[in-house]
Amino acid sequence: MTAQNKKRWGMVIETKRCIDCKACMIACEIENQVPLGKHRNWVGHVGPTGTFPVLGLRFEPGNCMHCENPPCLRVCPTGATYQREDGLVLIDYDKCIGCRYCMQACPYDARYFDPARGVVDKCTFCVHRIDAGQPPACVETCVGGARHYGDLNDPNSEVSKLLATNEHSVLYEEAGTEPKIFYIS
Amino acid sequence: MRGQSIKVGDVFAWEMSRREFLGMGAVALGGLALSSIPFAPWLLGSGKAPARGNAHLPPVNFDREVYTLCEQCVWRCGLRAKVLNGKVYKLDGNPYHPHSNGMLCPRGQAGVATLYDPDRLRFPMMRAGDRGSGLWKRISWDDALNYTAQKMQAIKQQFGAEALVFSSTHNLAQTQFENLLRAFGSPNYGTQRSLCFNAMIIANLMTFGMQEPDRDYSAAEYIIYTGRNLAEAISNSETQDMIAAIARGAKVVVLDPRFTKSASKATEWLPIRPGGDLAFFLAMLHVLVTEELYAKNFVAQYTVGFDDLAKAIKPYTPEWAASKTEIPAATTRRIAREFALAAPHAFVHNNWRTSNFVNSFQAERAMAIMNAITGNWQQPGGLFPSAGEGGIPLGAPPQPPYPRVSALRLDGVPSKYPLVPLDIGVFQEIREAILAEKPYPAHGWFVYRQNPIASLPERRKTLQAFSKLDFVVTIDTTMNDTAWFSDVVLPEASYLERYDPLTVVGDAVFLRQPAVDPLGESKSALWMFKELGTRLGLQDYFQYKDDEDYLRQQLQPLGVTLEEVKAKGFYRPPAPAAAATDFKFDTPSGKIELSSLSLAKSNFPAVPVWQEPPAPLADQFYLLTGKVAYHTQFSTQNNKLLHELFPKNTVWIHTTPAATRGIKDGDAVYVESPAGKVKTTAQVTEGIRPDCVYMTPGFGHLSKGTRTSYGEGASDSELHLTFSDPASGGQALTQTFVKVYKA
Repeated sequence: MTAQNKKRWGMVIETKRCIDCKACMIACEIENQVPLGKHRNWVGHVGPTGTFPVLGLRFEPGNCMHCENPPCLRVCPTGATYQREDGLVLIDYDKCIGCRYCMQACPYDARYFDPARGVVDKCTFCVHRIDAGQPPACVETCVGGARHYGDLNDPNSEVSKLLATNEHSVLYEEAGTEPKIFYIS
Repeated sequence: MRGQSIKVGDVFAWEMSRREFLGMGAVALGGLALSSIPFAPWLLGSGKAPARGNAHLPPVNFDREVYTLCEQCVWRCGLRAKVLNGKVYKLDGNPYHPHSNGMLCPRGQAGVATLYDPDRLRFPMMRAGDRGSGLWKRISWDDALNYTAQKMQAIKQQFGAEALVFSSTHNLAQTQFENLLRAFGSPNYGTQRSLCFNAMIIANLMTFGMQEPDRDYSAAEYIIYTGRNLAEAISNSETQDMIAAIARGAKVVVLDPRFTKSASKATEWLPIRPGGDLAFFLAMLHVLVTEELYAKNFVAQYTVGFDDLAKAIKPYTPEWAASKTEIPAATTRRIAREFALAAPHAFVHNNWRTSNFVNSFQAERAMAIMNAITGNWQQPGGLFPSAGEGGIPLGAPPQPPYPRVSALRLDGVPSKYPLVPLDIGVFQEIREAILAEKPYPAHGWFVYRQNPIASLPERRKTLQAFSKLDFVVTIDTTMNDTAWFSDVVLPEASYLERYDPLTVVGDAVFLRQPAVDPLGESKSALWMFKELGTRLGLQDYFQYKDDEDYLRQQLQPLGVTLEEVKAKGFYRPPAPAAAATDFKFDTPSGKIELSSLSLAKSNFPAVPVWQEPPAPLADQFYLLTGKVAYHTQFSTQNNKLLHELFPKNTVWIHTTPAATRGIKDGDAVYVESPAGKVKTTAQVTEGIRPDCVYMTPGFGHLSKGTRTSYGEGASDSELHLTFSDPASGGQALTQTFVKVYKA
């Protein structure tokens, strides 16, 4: 595979389209059989800000940022957390010993400990679906059309076009993690 | 009982049988679940530990994908049920269905937890103690149906068919339920609509001659909402449309006393005083007419009664409206002008939750007329005639005519409510008539998938009404509050386990079909109504062998087989050669009626007039109601996934009145109305008018048979007083005023 056609998965989230319905959270919970009470993705609230009747409210959906420079990977003592060639940060559950260092290292609080399996888990970008040519479950069901996914290396992908034509930001840029979840507000 | 399955003839206490039911669940599902794919413990209900290591990876290949219809709300999105080892693993939106466009809302996604709810009803049962005691006896289907038919027959013979009330809420098998009640001969039929949007339906009928015109969001430049919170009261495709319209820059104005999520997405939010919508739209009409901003040619060609309207709205200046709406006159005037400028690519949404005040009918009329005089009809971005669900004619089993019914209806339609269609009715008035025993006493109530104890205002009165009845039978999938107080409970298969009659959406026919086998002994409504009909001697009204035969008879005129429709869950017949060109309004004049002949004939104002809504006293609040995205009415609170997102309701109260009362966010408070008192949790927020408090409905369940939701939150139906709008029969849900104080 040459450098040009190597995939680099990312997400673009248009916060103005998010209605906080949390369909993404339920879809993920079922798709990935996440234990009740744990979540691999979320919808954050900013607000209501201001004083009646001048009010603001913004929703900020998120999940594992699949950082280019993932701090969780560096602290993993067993090599359970690894980065695929396409940039996805994944966990080899056979190698995970449940030490939870990665949970401490993640600035986005994207990981949780699954007590039943004794391992740490998080968003896989629905890698099983991606590899089968299907969108991640959260993206597929997004009622507001806020969540987009695609190949950041492909200038014609939906995400690349959105990034090319809109101002965007990442969360905790200062942490130097180089997240691949981009926000358009 | 412990350690054994409940057998036919066993008496058991539901709340004591938790272990028993879980035990049965594990037995019933165990054989199916032992595959390499671990289902989450909540899905199994068995607490079985999932596989360790890399074996725990989600599947991408399934045994089959079944294209069927959601039933987590009334929007009926198309979905794909992915089935593995006999179980539904995941639901995804059906890209072929115009209501889902490939997406599902949180309730739709959570459908697997409805299907595998450990509290699902698995077999017919009969009350074995006092009503509401929770003591039940498992009975066979034969006994359940024979007993139900016998009780129905006894009521009919002794008191007449009208002594049995039937009620049901918007669902696909409702046509066959209506078939049963008409064949039985009872005129007493209740739907939920008077608790929801009777005002909208009747106003549209009086104005356009149709219940609800379609809306074209794709080219709309200006939209005004006054009772439709699409970001939270999600109607999937319409919510998608609204967000898309906002994203491409359409102006959206939301009038709501509460800062809803829709309000947060809108271009402009106007925290209008409750009951003031009518004044707002009268003033808008005033501006349009006096400043000659209306579509003169359209008005001349397609409407009647403009002069009467113009005369009537003269006094309603924006300045006059300002004290009623608490919206500055300049704002009202500006919005009227903006709207007129954007027209005809604009609409005032007719809204759904319009049962607010007894003046809501007038408000709905004013909104309809706003659309009419700005010419927003059959124009891109405006309103369009709706074919409703009758766009494609379907077949039906042959049947004899229904018996003639001469008894008066308990809900006063049409004698007291001449404008309300018979198949819609005035639900809350049935309960009032049962209590008053006027015009005659009712003796039984047949509830099909509805929850009147939870939904009707003044819950105590509904419980009293039940105590007056000799017989109550409820069909549902779980032991909801109404089932809990019934004599016989018949378990319906869930929407993922059964067929229902076909539904038409736009230019296609859609099918609900089973993705998996029904749980326990649960059955489809089509089967139940046929079996009951047969036992009542009404078999000629149910001439279908089974569910599939019913569907084949429906499909017969379309020349397509059921097997073909099953493949993708829908069929789109070839388009008719020529579409009808000249649309005719189904009103007495054949035109849009700004001044309504029907209203005048029934002694209602022919053109909209101001009606002053009642207001709370200084120490009281308007009690607002409204949906959240995570629940549907009274039916989803027991879904474990949705419960996790939104376990219980709170009461929203503005910061200032909360401070005066010493109420802090999270405090326990009492909310008290003349009808009742509930204890709940205060949510102190800037996002509501200081003279309002808000509770979402669907909580404070009484049934211990819904164990996830039992004891969670408080019931707003306990608080609501009963007021019916004389024109539309709509229950005025915001006309209840409450006090709030620390518990």
